[in-house]
Amino acid sequence: MASIFALLKKFKNGLDMGSIQSVDEMSVIPLVGDDRGDIVADPQELKFQRTTNYGSMQFDNTERSRPAIVPSNYMVRGTGAQDHAMSSAGIVAGGKTKTFDTACCIESSQGGYLGGANNEYDVLPIGLRKNLLPASMRNRRSYDKLWPSIEEWLKGIGINSYNAHLRYFYDDKNIRQALEDFAAEFEPIPNQIGAIILFNEMPVGFEVMPTTIHWNAYWKYLIRGCYGAELIRMKKLGIVKSSRLVLPDIPAKSTPEELAELFSSYQQSLTAGVIPLLEKINVKDYKAVSSTSGLEMNFVTTTSGGGGDVIAQGQEPVYASIVF
Amino acid sequence: MAEKGLQLDSGILQFAPKGAFYETQDEQFKQIYRMWEDLFLYDRTLFCLTTLLGGTGFSKGSMSHMLLSNPQSVEDGALIPQGLAIDYERNVIIHNLKRERTPRALKNLLMLTGGEGMKKVNNARTRKIILEFIFNRDHEALDNLAVNYKGKLKRLVRHALGRQTLSRIVDHGDEKLFNKWIGRYHPNALPVILYLFDRPVPANTVMAYYKKIEQVLSLKEAAVKDDIKAFEKYMKGLPYLTVMGYRNTYKVTIDKADVLEGSKMTDRQSLQMQTAAKRSGAKVKVNYNNQSIYDLWKIYYHNLMQSDTTDLPKIEKAIDEKHAKAAKIDIGPVTIVIDASESMSGSDKRPLHPFLTSLSILSVLDNIVDVIYVGGKPIDVNGNQIAVPGGATDLWRGLTEAVMTDAKKIIIISDGYENSVKGMFEHAYKHFKNSGFDFELIHINPVMSADASKGTTRQLVEDVKPLPVSAPEFLETELIFNKMIENRELVKQLLVNKYQKLIGGQ
Repeated sequence: MASIFALLKKFKNGLDMGSIQSVDEMSVIPLVGDDRGDIVADPQELKFQRTTNYGSMQFDNTERSRPAIVPSNYMVRGTGAQDHAMSSAGIVAGGKTKTFDTACCIESSQGGYLGGANNEYDVLPIGLRKNLLPASMRNRRSYDKLWPSIEEWLKGIGINSYNAHLRYFYDDKNIRQALEDFAAEFEPIPNQIGAIILFNEMPVGFEVMPTTIHWNAYWKYLIRGCYGAELIRMKKLGIVKSSRLVLPDIPAKSTPEELAELFSSYQQSLTAGVIPLLEKINVKDYKAVSSTSGLEMNFVTTTSGGGGDVIAQGQEPVYASIVF
Repeated sequence: MAEKGLQLDSGILQFAPKGAFYETQDEQFKQIYRMWEDLFLYDRTLFCLTTLLGGTGFSKGSMSHMLLSNPQSVEDGALIPQGLAIDYERNVIIHNLKRERTPRALKNLLMLTGGEGMKKVNNARTRKIILEFIFNRDHEALDNLAVNYKGKLKRLVRHALGRQTLSRIVDHGDEKLFNKWIGRYHPNALPVILYLFDRPVPANTVMAYYKKIEQVLSLKEAAVKDDIKAFEKYMKGLPYLTVMGYRNTYKVTIDKADVLEGSKMTDRQSLQMQTAAKRSGAKVKVNYNNQSIYDLWKIYYHNLMQSDTTDLPKIEKAIDEKHAKAAKIDIGPVTIVIDASESMSGSDKRPLHPFLTSLSILSVLDNIVDVIYVGGKPIDVNGNQIAVPGGATDLWRGLTEAVMTDAKKIIIISDGYENSVKGMFEHAYKHFKNSGFDFELIHINPVMSADASKGTTRQLVEDVKPLPVSAPEFLETELIFNKMIENRELVKQLLVNKYQKLIGGQ
């Protein structure tokens, strides 16, 4: 059984790890490398169009020749309409409109269909993404399938959990501020196309996009809406120990040159330390689920109870979004 | 407000409602508004006098609004410190309005009518200030003002006079009321009032004082008739926006390019309109030598981003000249670290503002030993590498490099986000200080931050209070704010002296 790290290595042209960024309990190790494949449309070509029914999200790909990728568990929140999220990733063929009818409603007692304008976008928090991993959840056409999980997710954090309104969380003034502050602490670096995300030095997910343009378009949804949101909730519940990375002792009288060397090797050791952790997480199942315009969508599960989507062009993965 | 909890920094004078990379303008405004209130309650005189220091028009307008919303007690003489006139608040407000560029000054007055999200205020003081500011000027200046800002003046005059008084003056020719409110400042201003409210000027009125108004009236007539020849004749020398207004309202069939070339633009407008002019095929000559250093950097980077390199050598030359002529602050030899990470690229409403401010600050500091950029993406311009904000920071590297230069003063210009392992900057700083490296660290933060734990900007090191500087001309102000709480009376005396120097004695 291959480790999840082996899956990362399957990305051709190599992926390097950039310098770690860490704030309190969350660390992000940037993944840098060349753009993947050559057939994925730029993210600005993908437009969320509307919800055609409860549980159906429609996207347009305005680029004629190349397919576009809808990120895993992409979430759209609008006003006066039922907010929605994708149950998995998606592929929209070049120049086509596609409706994903396995999407979930995430605002239980709100009626109305979303339009393409004046929306807020994010990616579902990892706790809820994990709820969508079983095939019975992600493939089922049932708009209300995530409601019990959302109610559960909202419990105990001082947010109204009587209704499955995920926006109660994102619209809360203090949480909104905390999420913005959180996103502000991390920044994309040159050539970054992905990241490994850790809570208290334990990997909780990795994300790889086809190009730096995709990463720049979606990183905030991931860092703020997905991982940041989950960490804030866990902190509110008291289930994550408050901590921050311990900085290295600097020997007295170290020169600036010695300090620079010490800090560089400290950052390198933090990055290297994640590899054995990833090697312990094994791929349980890796299977192709669909194919569109030269892109193959695969569903992955891990022995740690996690999983997600990997999209490949031929044998080469060009997109991955996996939570542990 | 208890003095103990008072948090102040000069950011309260430098606010512009434009948002930042991570925050909306509403969040920032609330934070700043709280600080205005705190200072107002702490010491109204200090609050008023600080507006004499360098700051943004918006901040000063908002602070004046707060002063005018709360009556100034005239019974308690003790409230007026020695050296100030009894109506010193009015003097300060008028002085500040006169120092602003006209559009901003009018916007500040419009705050009293409910503009820019403010509450309406109308009292004896506001009435006098509005009318004095508009009409207490010579004929030519009043003529220009009326033609350039007709809509704004109309709102202000209506607000100050009230509908009834206004109607008595413009519809019934009530001379007594006119003299009471307007004639006291400008006895010949009646044609201006009539022009503002689109009332016909009586046939026997002498218009010789108001040539521009006369020209606009002729332009309007030409526009109504779609007489292009007459329109072209009368638009010459009139403000671009006025001409465009008549062109669009009456659908005059004249090319936009002709309007751009024929009408008159301020130096700033011509800079702002450069792109639109190019699109329309018109030739608009920009005088780069008359721009501020900030505006020059702004147009330089704007052109760079548009891959328009035509004027870059000219702009570079103008920047060099401005830099050489700028009044410098000498704090001794200094090494500067500039944070060029992604977040220094600012908000959508004010692109690149933090980074452009950093570059502009370089022109007001003397004795710069070295400049170290941390982060950033290089762009090749005619063989030179130009830094553009991008990527993460690793700010500790900048500090370490600066310490290596043996600098005694290190200025770091950063928004305060490290983007590495949080705390590494402070860890390095403490080590250097504890190991006997003799340097003073000054943190200049060009980005307002509502989530700052103290003050208006984010802090990098516990014992180094950041100086919020949103524009290079505000550096002087910092000293005063740094001492405001610990030495209130000294600062008040400094400000009273400044008042006497700028406005005069009692």
